[in-house]
Amino acid sequence: MITNPIGVIALSKREIVRFMAVSSQTILPPLVSSALFMYIFGVAIGNRIAFEATGFSYLGFLVPGLMTMHLISSAYENTSSSLFIARWHNHIQEVLLAPLSYFEMVLGLLAGGIARGVMVCAGVYGISFFFSPMGVVHPFLLSYFIINIAVIFSCAGMMGALWAEDFGMLNLWNVYVIIPLVFMGGVFHPMTMLPPLIQTISKFNPMFYLVNGIRYSVIGVTDAPLLSCVVLSLILALGFFFLTVYLFKRGYKLRT
Amino acid sequence: MKPTDFGIPMDKTTKKAVSIQNLTKYYGSFKALDDVSFEVGRGDFFAFLGPNGAGKTTTINVITGLSNYQSGQVNIFGYNTTTQYTQSRRLVGLCAQEFNFDPFLTLHQLLVYQAGYFGIVPKTASKRADELLERFQLMEKRNLRHRALSGGMRKRLLICRALIHDPAILILDEPTAGCDLELKYMVWEYLQQLNREGKTIFLTTHYMEEAEKLCKTIGIIHKGRIVRIGDKKEVLQDKTLEAVFLEVTASG
Repeated sequence: MITNPIGVIALSKREIVRFMAVSSQTILPPLVSSALFMYIFGVAIGNRIAFEATGFSYLGFLVPGLMTMHLISSAYENTSSSLFIARWHNHIQEVLLAPLSYFEMVLGLLAGGIARGVMVCAGVYGISFFFSPMGVVHPFLLSYFIINIAVIFSCAGMMGALWAEDFGMLNLWNVYVIIPLVFMGGVFHPMTMLPPLIQTISKFNPMFYLVNGIRYSVIGVTDAPLLSCVVLSLILALGFFFLTVYLFKRGYKLRT
Repeated sequence: MKPTDFGIPMDKTTKKAVSIQNLTKYYGSFKALDDVSFEVGRGDFFAFLGPNGAGKTTTINVITGLSNYQSGQVNIFGYNTTTQYTQSRRLVGLCAQEFNFDPFLTLHQLLVYQAGYFGIVPKTASKRADELLERFQLMEKRNLRHRALSGGMRKRLLICRALIHDPAILILDEPTAGCDLELKYMVWEYLQQLNREGKTIFLTTHYMEEAEKLCKTIGIIHKGRIVRIGDKKEVLQDKTLEAVFLEVTASG
């Protein structure tokens, strides 16, 4: 399926070099905000939350949520900004003229989103050691969820970048759809804390399963059935990936 | 099949570098290309002329895969640009009109990444990038970004980028527009040298003397239709190219 591996590696490398060159804007901010979240909500406020019944501290519950939240936003922001700027300056032509299949183009662009998401996610986990060191209960499962979530939101970022006509439109999906769904997906709270009606509605929020997939992998606790988390994340990753490849193939807002 | 320097498969028996049949392209309800058919031979130096908005850049965009089209067929050295696009794109180098460079990359990085997309390993790509930068007198600017370049330098960088993968056909969309005389002569000389070495050149220009001096065959497009095409002598028929051009595009 990959006939131009050097081309894919070159594109992947360019995407990774791009965000690493401005790491103070791409890597550092989510780590700083995570540290603040952990200190204020996990330590200062969290110690006053009656959480003992779950067998974990509130900070232990919060860390996997923060890992997921920043994984999602980093993956999305990376591909959306990279592809949108490439469209804006029209240097996307460098890629469109190359002998890369549409599958390979998406794969190359995806690499930046995945790399940035994984780095930020690992960084958030690393920062948690300053507050309360904790191990990972299911490391392989954690890798599975991290990769799937990074693929989903890197592809969503590409779709957002193709759809957007200006910088304002670029952030609409992130601000009005992704962030609210992530917050309501259980990053900061267990579902049992919510009224029954909201609990029922939350079951239709895909972020609920993604957050809980990561939480189960890290601390071994989940509000959602694990199988649902495993299957849904895979289906979404494959679905978003092939939809993005289809949009590239169609030339949606890429070719006149 | 014989690989070129960078492993590009080429059918040596194919005599047509570009073959376009019954190409029709609309922008909304506007018919930009109307049943366009023509061929460019392997090793030819082809001038593709026409007034502004005639369909020159649209034709180039279709050939290179930057534009979709409604009907027709386009082949590059026998490879269909829709169904065999990865093969056809390996053979084409495009020097576009606009300066569309990645603003985050230096000149050298820009060329090396571009070569990478074409499957060229970094070591070879770096050597090739330096050769081109040297040839086009951009070596001093090697580690700068394109914003630090003058307009003429950017033109040269566009040509370097188009040539980085040693394409079999080089398509140039008004490469000397806005260039000073020195740069214009330098580009002309280099294009002629490339053509002598066997590269097919597809050139659009508004400078009639440029087309007349450099090209072996000439095609004129007007309102999305080919109105004159043939070898230079056949098209000119003892007239100047300017006179022929004005004659065939006189209908407004």
